[in-house]
Amino acid sequence: MENIDAARLQMAFTLGFHIVFACIGMVMPFFMVVAHKKWLNTRNPIYLTLTKSWQRGVAIFFVTGAVSGTALSFELGLLWPTFMKHAGPIIGMPFSLEGAAFFVEAIALGFYLYGWNKISEKFHWITGIIVGISGVASGILVVAANGWMNAPSGFDYINEEFLNIDPIQALLNPAWFTQALHMTLAAFTATGFAVAGIHAFQIYKKRNTELHTKAFKIAITFGAIAALLQPLSGDLSAKDVAKRQPAKLAAMEAHFDTQKGAPLYIGGIVNQETQEVNYKVEIPKALSFLAHGDFNAEVVGLNDFPKDEHPNVAVVHYAFQIMIGLGTLLLLAGLLFFLVNYKKRQWFKKRSFWLFFTLLAPTGFIALEAGWVVTEVGRQPWIIHKIMRTKDAVTPMPGIEYSFYMYLFVYLSLAAAITWLMNRQIKALNTTKTTPL
Amino acid sequence: MMYVVLFFLAFSLLLYVLLAGADFGAGIIELFSSKKNQKITKKTVYRVMGPVWEANHIWIIILIVILWVAFPYFYNIIVVSLHIPLTLMLLGITLRGIAFIFRHYDAYKDKSQRLYNWMFKISSLLTPIFLGIAFGALLSEEIIVTDTLAEFTFKELYIDSWLNIFSILTGLFFASLCAFMAAVLLIGEADKTALKIYRKKAATATVVVVLIGFITFMYGYSQGLSFVLGFIENPYAISALGISALLLIPLWRSIQQERKVRTRIYAGLQVFLVLFAALISQYPLVLFTSNESISLLANTAPESTIQVLGISLIIGGLLILPGLFHLLKSFKMIKILERD
Repeated sequence: MENIDAARLQMAFTLGFHIVFACIGMVMPFFMVVAHKKWLNTRNPIYLTLTKSWQRGVAIFFVTGAVSGTALSFELGLLWPTFMKHAGPIIGMPFSLEGAAFFVEAIALGFYLYGWNKISEKFHWITGIIVGISGVASGILVVAANGWMNAPSGFDYINEEFLNIDPIQALLNPAWFTQALHMTLAAFTATGFAVAGIHAFQIYKKRNTELHTKAFKIAITFGAIAALLQPLSGDLSAKDVAKRQPAKLAAMEAHFDTQKGAPLYIGGIVNQETQEVNYKVEIPKALSFLAHGDFNAEVVGLNDFPKDEHPNVAVVHYAFQIMIGLGTLLLLAGLLFFLVNYKKRQWFKKRSFWLFFTLLAPTGFIALEAGWVVTEVGRQPWIIHKIMRTKDAVTPMPGIEYSFYMYLFVYLSLAAAITWLMNRQIKALNTTKTTPL
Repeated sequence: MMYVVLFFLAFSLLLYVLLAGADFGAGIIELFSSKKNQKITKKTVYRVMGPVWEANHIWIIILIVILWVAFPYFYNIIVVSLHIPLTLMLLGITLRGIAFIFRHYDAYKDKSQRLYNWMFKISSLLTPIFLGIAFGALLSEEIIVTDTLAEFTFKELYIDSWLNIFSILTGLFFASLCAFMAAVLLIGEADKTALKIYRKKAATATVVVVLIGFITFMYGYSQGLSFVLGFIENPYAISALGISALLLIPLWRSIQQERKVRTRIYAGLQVFLVLFAALISQYPLVLFTSNESISLLANTAPESTIQVLGISLIIGGLLILPGLFHLLKSFKMIKILERD
């Protein structure tokens, strides 16, 4: 395996894992504090049990997120030393602030996990909120750093040198807001549906239904609201990408030739050689409208770019279709939940309802990962858009493939172990009325 | 502003060595304990470390971020030539974190605990060893910095840079230092029966630290490493090391008298002095490669970056330190302060 391919695979793989852990660790605290608040208000012990079991989930995912994040903070340099050498001083600000936010989160979590019956109820609950807010802040800051790779700013690039560095402008790069908004909503959607799905399965199996129904409603409410807002954020992102990274947009849509009134392709098999998309559904002029808000606007095709600046069209296009498809499915599922909750409560008794939401559990995360494939593979061959190529950034040390195999083995085992651990948590939750700690 | 950045760099290094070091050390002590004592250690460690455990380990992230933002040239050399020990250290950090969380959060306490314990103890030993190796490698004059990589073999560039006697000795020294800190920390937390065990462990650890430290130093001297030679000639470094050694006397007296806070302060001060001596001896030279000595301050990030980083660190510090202090105060740590 070529060094560059191994490094890219390792980065994709470790980031892919970290994203799941980090999202759960950042969104679940919100579910936890809602359940906690309901316990404080109603003194219904079910809410206390729920809070404490979610708290275990938060603790487990926080630590896995923290260690995989620590690994990533090193990997950035270990795999892409040339990138970090130049980019480090420019995008240091989001990372140093992220470090601070993460620290605040760890401190607040220390209070929350160990504060039961030791600190005042109100302060204890507030530390839970701080865990959630600082977690989301960390996420936004890291995504802002990624935004800089898509929309490099805050420096002048003269004779291959980065001069006049302005770290604040780099932090507030043109892509930071659309990306951070899209990712935050995605995190809430994915985690909301995943957690709701796990509880839906328990209800489907008729285990401890009262507790799991309460849990399901809290999680799905977050997930459904985020899923409903996501298309608006997606629209902002698409228009932004169309303006700044037309090659990425073209790859997303498998759009090869520049044209006015460009059609939108749904699905289809991409043939990169002949530049054709077979078996697609075509909506006339829709791409022009989505990208520029005008049915007759010109959309730049991939052929306007040199061949060596093309991303892998098939991968980006498929990933984009998966993201949009699953996103739409989750939006409809969110609407269904609200409909049932306000109009058709008798549906809560139907097993098929719970089976449906069980099956949806992984879809949010699949969509989220697909979205990251779109933005990362879509940026290739650049590591810093139009400034530095990925192949020029990789470490000179040969043999990265062995490092990749090691990470592959460790993270796959880790995933299996965490799944197993979570399963045991739920089993314990169903067999005992109260959970220790 | 550069001094603010340097202060935070040294500060987070010190806190990582002290806090995470004691945490690693607790695992090492568990590894070298009999079965019955392992259980006691595990319980005590969790009680003391639990609430602050995560915060302790974030210092390394702060450290690495400061390095890459402010000292990109220096950082670049480290991540390229020390790729392998750093990756192994990361593996250790990952396995250790997972084991820690599994052994306390698994809903069932059954046979699988044995696997977690085993994983925890082994990674507690290996992680600081690789960290120490990486640190030693910076001083070992084996790292090759060159523009013509093709002239060298893989082994010369990426293996010999860290797999050498001096680096390995430094790794062992750091691991034993961790065990020493943990033993001293645990003394302050133990009840009567456990107290004896930890006192014994602390005595052993002290002997081991001093011994390995001495061997490392003498080996470096015999090889004529400029770090060691410069160390001897630097009055601050030598006196700091001397005071650290002298502090062993009051340390042991306070251990005998069961003065818990004083014990910790002495031990912390000793570690601080050792670290201070190592850093000050040739400041700002921190990297001794095969053919040159590289200053930390060579090719730093531009002034505008340093400004913003310094301000971010100050804001972050103001946000974090009171919270951290409050966390320590709210839980176990302060009760001990009250008892002394």
